[in-house]
Amino acid sequence: MDSRYEIQRRAGGGAAGFGGGSATGSPALGASARRRKTPPRPADYKLQIIIIGSRGVGKTSLMERFTDDTFCEACKSTVGVDFKIKTVELRGKKIRLQIWDTAGQERFNSITSAYYRGAKGIIIVYDITKQETFEDLPKWMKMIDKYASEEAELLLVGNKLDCESDRIVTRQQAERFASRISGMRFCEASAKDNFNVDEIFLKLVDDILSKMPLEVPSRELSNSVLSLQPEPEVPPELPPPRMRCC
Amino acid sequence: MDSNQSSRSEGSAEQSSLVSEDGKNIKSVVCQRCGSKVLCAGTAVLTEKELFLPSMRKKNNINQSDGTLDGDTLTAHWLVDDMYTFENVGFTKDVGKVKYLICADCEIGPIGWHSLDDKKSFYVALDRVNHE
Repeated sequence: MDSRYEIQRRAGGGAAGFGGGSATGSPALGASARRRKTPPRPADYKLQIIIIGSRGVGKTSLMERFTDDTFCEACKSTVGVDFKIKTVELRGKKIRLQIWDTAGQERFNSITSAYYRGAKGIIIVYDITKQETFEDLPKWMKMIDKYASEEAELLLVGNKLDCESDRIVTRQQAERFASRISGMRFCEASAKDNFNVDEIFLKLVDDILSKMPLEVPSRELSNSVLSLQPEPEVPPELPPPRMRCC
Repeated sequence: MDSNQSSRSEGSAEQSSLVSEDGKNIKSVVCQRCGSKVLCAGTAVLTEKELFLPSMRKKNNINQSDGTLDGDTLTAHWLVDDMYTFENVGFTKDVGKVKYLICADCEIGPIGWHSLDDKKSFYVALDRVNHE
């Protein structure tokens, strides 16, 4: 009955559930109904996932659900979302994802190494309608090689599949690119109409889980939202004053 | 002004129906708009603390006459000490030394408050969420 959350190993698509659709109700809501019988249990795993890629490829859209009607839109544009905690269930395990979007830090060296260091999964996004975002991929790979754990699962995402008529980068080109990097998976998606977005995260999580030692939850992540700062032992500086909300 | 939520549940009988004997949430905490689950039942503790949260309605967000930020000072909150207690939640970027909590799915908010000075306190305002 938890089939919405379960995907067959390596089967990839098909399973919806992560993020869900506003019109159809939240998957979390559904989960609450299912889980009501059992007492709350802590998460079995905590995983950090980062989303990288060149400017404008739709990283934020992959993390967010697309809504035209977002409340406090003005707040959003000035303040912005830093990261999200999302819960998925896979293989009977409850997994908390901490998802970081690196939008606004697209200059390759401006994303601090700390983002990469703790990431168990890295989603690299390009725009199928913009050649240069595809050509940037080797530079992103360099950053990954330099800073990320070798264990990190990589998923290449060709975004903006809804703009198929403007496509510049073929599927084959990207498949070729991904096949040259060991362990890198590839898919195309459209954050705009939510096509494949749920699957992307589930697929990545499934890959991460398959690498983890059984029944040894990851406890590496600290509770602190500052834990990703480059030097956590040094008290973080006060961020520069921002414009008040809106 | 309708920016104040109509249901001021603080201290009311309504609130007591939400809290168990040991001060925890009897019901799960969900987004008012999309129903996304924020907290499972029994995972948070009711606490009182005066916190200012900007309005969730964008039109009312800035007071036209004096330009101040519209919002509510709320005192009844669900408190958790670990961000991984949340089922689904979003954190805004820093606003001063504060991060606001928002719905992870539809991004309505702020529904809660977190100070960078207190890494073990995450507040979700009762008035900004539903319980079921």
